[in-house]
Amino acid sequence: MFRSIDDVIRRLGEQKYICNKNVATVVYLACAMQKPVLVEGPAGVGKTELGKVLANSLGLELIRLQCYEGLDEGKALYEWEYAKQLLYTQILKDKVGEILQGSQSLKQAVDRIAKEDDVFFSEKFLLPRPLLRALVAEKSTVLLVDEVDKSDTEFEAFLLEVLSDFQISVPEIGTLRAKHLPLVILTSNNSREMSDALKRRCLHLYLDFPEPQREMEIIKLKVPGVGEKLVEEVAYLLQRLRKLDLKKKPSISETLDWVKALTLLNMKRLDDQLVQETLSTLMKYEGDIRKAEEELKRYLADRKTKLHAAAVESDKDLLH
Amino acid sequence: MNDQIVEFSNLLRRNGIRVSPSENMEALRALELVGVGDPHGFRTALRATLVKRFADMRLFEELFELFFLGFGKAVAESDRRLMAQLGLNPKEFQEWLEQVRSLLEHRKDHLSPIARALLAGDMGQVERLLREAAATEDGEAVERRVSVGVYSHRVAVAIQIDRVEQETADFLAWAESRGAAPEILERLARYLDERLKALSQLLRELAEQELRKSGQTPPGRERLEYLMQKSFSYYTAEDIRRMNEVVTQLARRFKNLLSLRRKKADRGRFDVKDTLRKNLQYGGVPFEIQLDRRKREKPQVIVLCDISDSVLNASRFMLQFVYSLQELYSKVRSFVFVSEVGEVTQLFEENEIQTAVEMALKGEVIDVYCHSNFGRAFDMFYREHFSAVTSKTTFLVIGDGRNNYNSPNDWVLKEIQQKAKQLIWLNPESRLTWGFGDSEMARYVPHCDFVEECRNIEQLYKVIDRIAA
Ligand SMILES: Nc1ncnc2c1ncn2[C@@H]1O[C@H](COP(=O)(O)OP(=O)(O)O)[C@@H](O)[C@H]1O
Ligand SMILES: [Mg+2]
Repeated sequence: MFRSIDDVIRRLGEQKYICNKNVATVVYLACAMQKPVLVEGPAGVGKTELGKVLANSLGLELIRLQCYEGLDEGKALYEWEYAKQLLYTQILKDKVGEILQGSQSLKQAVDRIAKEDDVFFSEKFLLPRPLLRALVAEKSTVLLVDEVDKSDTEFEAFLLEVLSDFQISVPEIGTLRAKHLPLVILTSNNSREMSDALKRRCLHLYLDFPEPQREMEIIKLKVPGVGEKLVEEVAYLLQRLRKLDLKKKPSISETLDWVKALTLLNMKRLDDQLVQETLSTLMKYEGDIRKAEEELKRYLADRKTKLHAAAVESDKDLLH
Repeated sequence: MNDQIVEFSNLLRRNGIRVSPSENMEALRALELVGVGDPHGFRTALRATLVKRFADMRLFEELFELFFLGFGKAVAESDRRLMAQLGLNPKEFQEWLEQVRSLLEHRKDHLSPIARALLAGDMGQVERLLREAAATEDGEAVERRVSVGVYSHRVAVAIQIDRVEQETADFLAWAESRGAAPEILERLARYLDERLKALSQLLRELAEQELRKSGQTPPGRERLEYLMQKSFSYYTAEDIRRMNEVVTQLARRFKNLLSLRRKKADRGRFDVKDTLRKNLQYGGVPFEIQLDRRKREKPQVIVLCDISDSVLNASRFMLQFVYSLQELYSKVRSFVFVSEVGEVTQLFEENEIQTAVEMALKGEVIDVYCHSNFGRAFDMFYREHFSAVTSKTTFLVIGDGRNNYNSPNDWVLKEIQQKAKQLIWLNPESRLTWGFGDSEMARYVPHCDFVEECRNIEQLYKVIDRIAA
């Protein structure tokens, strides 16, 4: 586990994940308090990544449950491995025959087979899905319940039960209790509000677009060889772009794609022509691109008139 | 510490943030873990344990500052402004303060305690004196739910602000009489002026804080509640912009309710016929089981929204709602009409909300400069888009049903109702006026599964609950 908040920052950093104090504090608390974290925020700001690097940095197995509309208990918890059960009955045909020997009626035969039920409905034939795997694992794990807002409300209720008791009952077997509490990270893009009950169970973390400093660090880490000047310009331009009224604001992953493209094109500083041509890696809506182009023009004009430095200052102020 | 956190949670509750007792306990546990020496951790720990809704985060920050930081921020701002005005850096400013203080020392008999503290820049003391004055005012004013202005005025009277101003003026006159250099005098004058301004700002701040502590809603929220009941037709452009958040919430709620209605996930039943067929290849031994997985039903929505002048404001709002619905949902098709019908599904997909709605209203897809003709619109929809209606469709008509005495073509609604899962009509006009003049509601209503007056957000909320019930 983590020794302190700074320890979180350092060890996630080793996994190439740059987190601010805010994030680190919540992660630290979650580990120490053994509480799930609900991470909310726009797409592409590193919610899923946080779950992954957390597992790596703690040296724990990552178990991921990707949610979607229609996800049900069977897919999330367990299913009976029917084919295997059948295979066994086929192989054990003779044995089955023995048991059935001398049955007077069909009913008697069925009863005799039923007595052997628990052979076939035992853990051996249970196919564990992510939730069960996290519960029965021999070591503690990181359970990443990704995009939980995409699941249905019924599934959310079921999930809440599991997260409250950390035990589940399989009618044929009995109750299975977690040997080790998993560290649970739930992510949500906020496409719907999760229930109050679920939220009460969790610590809450809102991940937002990164501050310019952090975004610069991330870019340098993820796009090796990128020029210092370019990184700086990109980070500040993005701050400006995200303030526009866009249908979809560019996220960290899109920033990274864009910078990679710019680097491939051997750009050292932002200039009009190439930037316009590559803007489509950053935004996908026509209207957004148009607004971004206008903002870019303003940005370049500002840069010319040396307003750049001042803009940087005011951006910093707004963020703190 | 314990008491303080409990009190802070109460403050959050009074301001509409739901905090449960268990969350309260957790906040305390978290604070033990981060330790009190870490102000940043302190704030984060409270945020992570007490505030779980994004919409509440801003309010949390405000209340946190109010509760734990007092006037700190306002004071720091005032000092920053002073330094800029006087052209001093922090060190020079400190020296200047020393000078002022030594001058004040000479005049201490002529200054009331609050004036002395204020002019010396001893803002902590000013805060204490203000709070004392407020404490005597408190109960009564808060009871009667006075405004910030009235409240701060009362405290101003209690601290005798006139006297503070008079004493400040006297102080300046005295400095002049002592033969201070003109540039020093000018600087002093500016300094004193800014201090007086800071005092009135602190008064306002104090009033806001006290009123809010007592659970009176901050101005922003009040306005939202008020908007909930305001009729769409009286919306200003500003109102409409502000509604964005609410509209998105509404759309989400609608989606949730619809999906709740769907049958609980069914893992499917054993399908004998299919299983046998599938397993012929294994000599009839059922290796692969076939479950009769019923298709999960994805509700589909078709919206037909009137955007004629008579309901312009309502449609602007309803289009925002439709837009959000479409964003949440893959299976929404949106149409608008005045007389002819046009589809805006794609327009909504490609543009951000304000632009999209304005484009739809300004006639991007249909002629909007004509008279309402529901009959023609229905007929046209029938001819061009009827095939989009399926047995899973929830069909939503939004409009006032004022048809300019044209042919109503209510048979189209009948057809739609027969084919669709349900037909819902929301009317932004008061129910009392339906059927009068050129309103064809009387003819349309019998073909709808559900008809409701929908003139403000509160009603829309209720309608959504009813639709999905
Ligand atoms: N703090 C961060 N440090 C390093 N990389 C990050 C960070 N946040 C996001 N990223 C990058 O952005 C990408 C998208 O993040 P992801 O976790 O998929 O977003 P989300 O789950 O929030 O939609 C990741 O692959 C990662 O490379
Ligand atoms: Mg993700």
